[in-house]
Amino acid sequence: MEADELLVRVAGGDQKAFEELYALVSGPVFGLVRRVVRDPAQSEEVAQEVLLELWRSAARYDPGRGSALAWVLTLAHRRAVDRVRSARAAGERELRMARRANGPAFDHVAEEVEAGLEREWVRRCLDRLTTLQRQSVTLAYYDGYTYREVAERLSLPLGTVKTRMRDGLTRLRDCLGGVA
Amino acid sequence: MTSILRLFRRGELHSLAAPYALDALEPREHGRFEKHLKRCDGCAAEVRALREDAVRLAWSTAAPAPAAMRERVLLAVRTTPQEPARAERAPSRARRPPFSPFLVPLASTTAAAALVVAALFGMQASRTQDRLEEERAQAREIAHVLAAPDARAGTGRDTDGQGIGVVASVSRRTAVVTSSGLAAPQGERVHQLWLMRPEGRPRSLGLLDGDTPLIATELDPDASSLAVTVEPQGGSPQPTTAPVVQLALESLGFGE
Repeated sequence: MEADELLVRVAGGDQKAFEELYALVSGPVFGLVRRVVRDPAQSEEVAQEVLLELWRSAARYDPGRGSALAWVLTLAHRRAVDRVRSARAAGERELRMARRANGPAFDHVAEEVEAGLEREWVRRCLDRLTTLQRQSVTLAYYDGYTYREVAERLSLPLGTVKTRMRDGLTRLRDCLGGVA
Repeated sequence: MTSILRLFRRGELHSLAAPYALDALEPREHGRFEKHLKRCDGCAAEVRALREDAVRLAWSTAAPAPAAMRERVLLAVRTTPQEPARAERAPSRARRPPFSPFLVPLASTTAAAALVVAALFGMQASRTQDRLEEERAQAREIAHVLAAPDARAGTGRDTDGQGIGVVASVSRRTAVVTSSGLAAPQGERVHQLWLMRPEGRPRSLGLLDGDTPLIATELDPDASSLAVTVEPQGGSPQPTTAPVVQLALESLGFGE
């Protein structure tokens, strides 16, 4: 069964459907959260909250407005970013990030080590973006920075960052579109 | 505002679509953009497309979730009420359907505790940062109760199926009480929580304020129940009305 159909059943209180949905989405959810949050214990906490939230608010999913997987991952990303921002506000991450900023820093393409077809594909498509497009998109999506913070870090005007984000996403669509 | 300025501002807002899709707006802008989204017909489709693009970035990150997490989540699902379907949902807070009292021994790992906390408070999408911080601080305090080996959870419901959720530990003489869909009382009145004891008068545990959890300490181990009454602003020294919700504490390990 597809995630879309499962989610609709889950909204009706079907626990078996939730188990199936869990099998489908727990890996993507956990992986994404870990990528953004980084700390393993906190990642597990956030991923759990997200998965439980799927159960609680499955009724909010509207199949007419996009795929279930996109809905799930959007939720997971949102929660991961919330967590990382509050941790950052507490100053925990700032030091580490400052240290990393001294190196060739923000370019995640270089950090991708694990193989895997999708990973490879995304990496390849990210490679096709301009450096500024790629940095704008990955600093926001993988590191949870706001576009204002991204602008500051890259010393770019706000307008430029917004445009690079849009262009970057659109290019990514052209490159990855075929493998959805 | 002149119409040119207004157009300019709309253009400004519109350019936030990509940062919005990447969750890269600050809370205030996020709110403004969502407002704009409701009024702008073309935007919804565009934002949806950009969101799907952003999600492609997640493809490369999948990793197997820890095995123990599955058990914890599935256990939590068995005891967590769902939000009702869209049409009947109250605008501000999810009303929970009438639900038989549940009783779960709580595992004592931190992750499990965090899960229960999340379930209890139904963390919502658009909390402000301050509110999140506040909730996290509370969550930590509450995690101590949840981590007690004798922690138990229970719910007390009124005739409409609304009521209170309680997690209590006799050994720590502490309970965490949350309102679970209790409608705010009419006029200038408040919900007050009482500890009922077989000997002695009811003891006030404080006022229940919306969905903010109330942490009650120094509970008498022989206490018989918790009760919620409607009282005038500021609360009363002793209950002046009949309880709207009552929860026997025996099932939580008290009264022995």
